[in-house]
Amino acid sequence: MTTLPGVRAARTASPDRPRSHRGPRTGEARWALLFLGPTLIGLALLSAGPILATLGISLTSWDMLTPPQFVGLDNYAQLLGDGRFLTALRNTFFYTAVSVPLGLVLALGLAMAVNQQIRGISWIRTMYFLPLVTSATAVALVWLWIYSPTGILNHALGVFGVSPQRWVADPTLAMPSIIAMSIWQGLPVNVIIFLAGLQAIPSEYYDAVSVDGAGRYGRFRYITVPLLTPSIFFTGVLALIGAFQVFDQIYVMANPGKPGGATITLVYFIYESGFRNFHMGLASAAAWILFLIVAVFTILYFRTQNRWVHYK
Amino acid sequence: MRTLRASRGPRRLAVIAIASLLVAGCTSTGSTPSPAPTAAPTPTSPPVATTSIVPTGSPSPAANPAAKCGTYQGPATTITYAIWGDTTELANQQKIVDAFTAKNPSIKVKVTVADWDTYWDKLQTSLAGGNAPDVFVMDGPLFPDYQTRDQLLDLNPLIARDGFDTGQLADLGVKDFTAPDGHLYGLPRDLSTVALYYNKKMFDQAGIPYPDDSWTWDKLVEVATKLTKTSGGATQWGFYTETTDMENYWSSLVWQAGGDILSPDKKTVVIDTDQAAAGLQFLQDLIYKYKVMAQPVPGGAAGDLFENGQAAMEANGSWLVPTHEAAGIDFGVAPLPRGPAGQATSVNPSGVVVYKGTKSPEAAWEFVKCYTGPDMQAMVASLKASMPANKQTLADIYATSFDGGKTFAGALAYAHLKPSFRGYNEFTTALQDELDSNVFNDNKLTAKAALDEVTPTLKGLLGK
Repeated sequence: MTTLPGVRAARTASPDRPRSHRGPRTGEARWALLFLGPTLIGLALLSAGPILATLGISLTSWDMLTPPQFVGLDNYAQLLGDGRFLTALRNTFFYTAVSVPLGLVLALGLAMAVNQQIRGISWIRTMYFLPLVTSATAVALVWLWIYSPTGILNHALGVFGVSPQRWVADPTLAMPSIIAMSIWQGLPVNVIIFLAGLQAIPSEYYDAVSVDGAGRYGRFRYITVPLLTPSIFFTGVLALIGAFQVFDQIYVMANPGKPGGATITLVYFIYESGFRNFHMGLASAAAWILFLIVAVFTILYFRTQNRWVHYK
Repeated sequence: MRTLRASRGPRRLAVIAIASLLVAGCTSTGSTPSPAPTAAPTPTSPPVATTSIVPTGSPSPAANPAAKCGTYQGPATTITYAIWGDTTELANQQKIVDAFTAKNPSIKVKVTVADWDTYWDKLQTSLAGGNAPDVFVMDGPLFPDYQTRDQLLDLNPLIARDGFDTGQLADLGVKDFTAPDGHLYGLPRDLSTVALYYNKKMFDQAGIPYPDDSWTWDKLVEVATKLTKTSGGATQWGFYTETTDMENYWSSLVWQAGGDILSPDKKTVVIDTDQAAAGLQFLQDLIYKYKVMAQPVPGGAAGDLFENGQAAMEANGSWLVPTHEAAGIDFGVAPLPRGPAGQATSVNPSGVVVYKGTKSPEAAWEFVKCYTGPDMQAMVASLKASMPANKQTLADIYATSFDGGKTFAGALAYAHLKPSFRGYNEFTTALQDELDSNVFNDNKLTAKAALDEVTPTLKGLLGK
C-alpha cells in the first residue's frame, strides 16, 4: 500500500495542529507589521527619537550651534524660579480651566439644538461646521477685527452704553478674549462627535422613559447624558490635551505674548526659549514639564472614568 | 499678521524697483543719475564715525581690479541667498541678484525668502544641521548671537587679498559687523535711520511753519498740541510713533536725554539712570500728560495713524518712505527734535554675511563684495525702503532722490547704533514688556519706577 506524498505530509503535520493553526495568524501579524511598518518607523524616528532626545537635551545647556554642556537638573531648577515660565504656566492653566468645560457645555447644547428634524437642518449644521474648514490664521484675523478698538464688538456694546474695551490689547481681557475665539473655533469638532453620539441613542429609550413620566429634563438627565458619557469623555480628553498645548491663536492674535506677557503660554515659552533665545536645554526641560502635567491630568481624568462613563 | 509684525522694525524693503537702474547699474561706478550731492550733509564723514578698522590692501581702490565686481575666476556654481520679507521684497532682491549674475555669469544665486519670525527659525535649524544658506541677511542687533557662536565666515582675509576698500561703506555699518577681534564677519547691506515725518497739508492748514533742525522737545509739544483736535468732528492727533521697539523712537529719546541702554563696553545695564528715564518719560508724557498722541494699541490694530492721515507728525524710520508715498501723504522729513543733551537718532544696519561652512566661499564673497559696491547699491537706493550702505551711493543717489533723503542720510552724523549684543532678544523682550505694560500702553508707573523694577532682571540676562 502506497501513500501519496501529500497525504503523508498531511499526517505528519497533524500532531502539530496547534502550531499549524497559529501559522496563518503569524502570517497575518507579519502582514500587519509590514503595513504598519512605515508608520512605526516614522513614529520611532520622527517622534519617539526626538522625544527621547529632548530628555537628554533638557539636562544640558545647548544653543544648537555650539556643543552642549551637561548641567544636570539646572534647567528644571531654573524654570521653577523663572517668572516668565511661571506666568506661562499660570496662563496655560487658566486657559485650560476655562476653555475646556465651557467649550464642552456649549458644544453639547449646540449639538442638541441641531439634532432636530426640521426643514433645512443640514444647512444649519453646515454653518456651524464652517469654523472647522476655515484656516486658523483667517479666523484669527477676522477676530482681531472684531476685537479692534473700533471693531464691531465695541460698536455693538456701545449700543448698550458700554464703553469701548481694548480686548486682546488689555492685559486682563486678553486671555478671556482669546479663549472666546478658541471655543468658537473648537466647537465644530465637539459638535460633530456629540451629534453622532446623540443620533446613536435609540428613540425607544426616550419613549420608555416618557411612558414612565419623564419630562424634557428627565429625558436629558436620565437618557441623553448617561448614554452620551463616552462621547463626553472622549471629547474631554482631546480638549484637555489640546488646551495645554495652545499656541496658534496666541501666536497670531496676541502678537506673541503681548500685552506684557499676559498671553504667553507654555508652548509659546518653549518656542521662545529655544528659537528666539538660544536656550534649547531650557526649552526641552519646559517641554518635559508640560508633558508631565498633561500626563498627570490625563491619568487622573482616566481614573474618574469608572465613576461616570457608561458604556452600553 | 505678518504685516503687523513687519511694521515693528526696519527690516522690510518694500515696493518698487526701477528696472532702468538695472541697466545703469551695470555700466560703471560713475553713472550717477542724480546731480552731485554738494548740499548733502556729508554722510561720508560723520563726527561719531569710527575709522576704518580693517586694513585695506591699498589706499586707492581704483588700483585694485580684484576689488571690483565681476572678478570671480572659480568654477561655475550655485549659491543660496536667504532674506526675510514678503513677495515684494523677493522680487526686489531678485532684480539685484539678476544684476549680479549679469556681471558674474558663472555664479547662479538662488534667493529664498521667509517672514521675519520664520526666517530666524529656519536659519537656526539649518545652521544646526550644517546646511545653512551660503549668504544670508543679518540684523545688526542679532549679529553677535551668530558671530560669537562661530557661524560666520571671517571676511578679513578676502578683504585684504582683494584690496576691497571698506572705507566706501558707512562707518557705523562697518562697525556693527566688526567682531571684538577687530575682524569683519559681514558687510553692511543697507541702513535705516529715524527722523520726524510731517504732513505738509496739516501744517499749511494750521499756518504753522514746518519742523526743522532747530526743534526741541518743547517745540514738539507746543506744535503737536496745536495740531491735536480730539473733540468735535474727525480726530486728528499732533503726533504718532510706535512704542513697541526701541528703534522707532524711544532709544533716540534716551540718547537725546543723555542716557543710554548699555555702557559702551556693553557689560553694564545703564538704562535705569535719571537721564535714560527722562527720555522714556517724555514719550509717556506725549501720550498721557500732553495728550498729543493716541494711547498705543498693542498688535498695531489701529494702524499707522500718520499713514492713515490722522496724525500730523510721526517719529519713525526711513523704511516707511515707500509706504507713506504709496498712501498718498504729502510729507516732509525733519531731524528728530533735540533733547536736553542735544541731537540723537538711531541707526540700524542690516548686513550680508557668509556661512562659515559654505562650500563656495569665493562665490559667496563675490556676491557680498558686489552687493556693497556702487552698482548694486544704486538699486537699493532706488527702492527708497532703506539707505544704501555705500557712502557714495548714499550721497549721490539716495539723498537726492526724494524730499527727506538728505535728512535721513544726514542723520548718520549724530546717530547711535541700535544696541547689538549677545542675548539681545531675551533682554529687549523683558525690557519692552515692562515698558509696554506699565509705561506706554498704560501709565501705571513712571518711566523711572518701571526701569527700577525691570533693571535687576535685565542685569541677570546680560551676559547670561
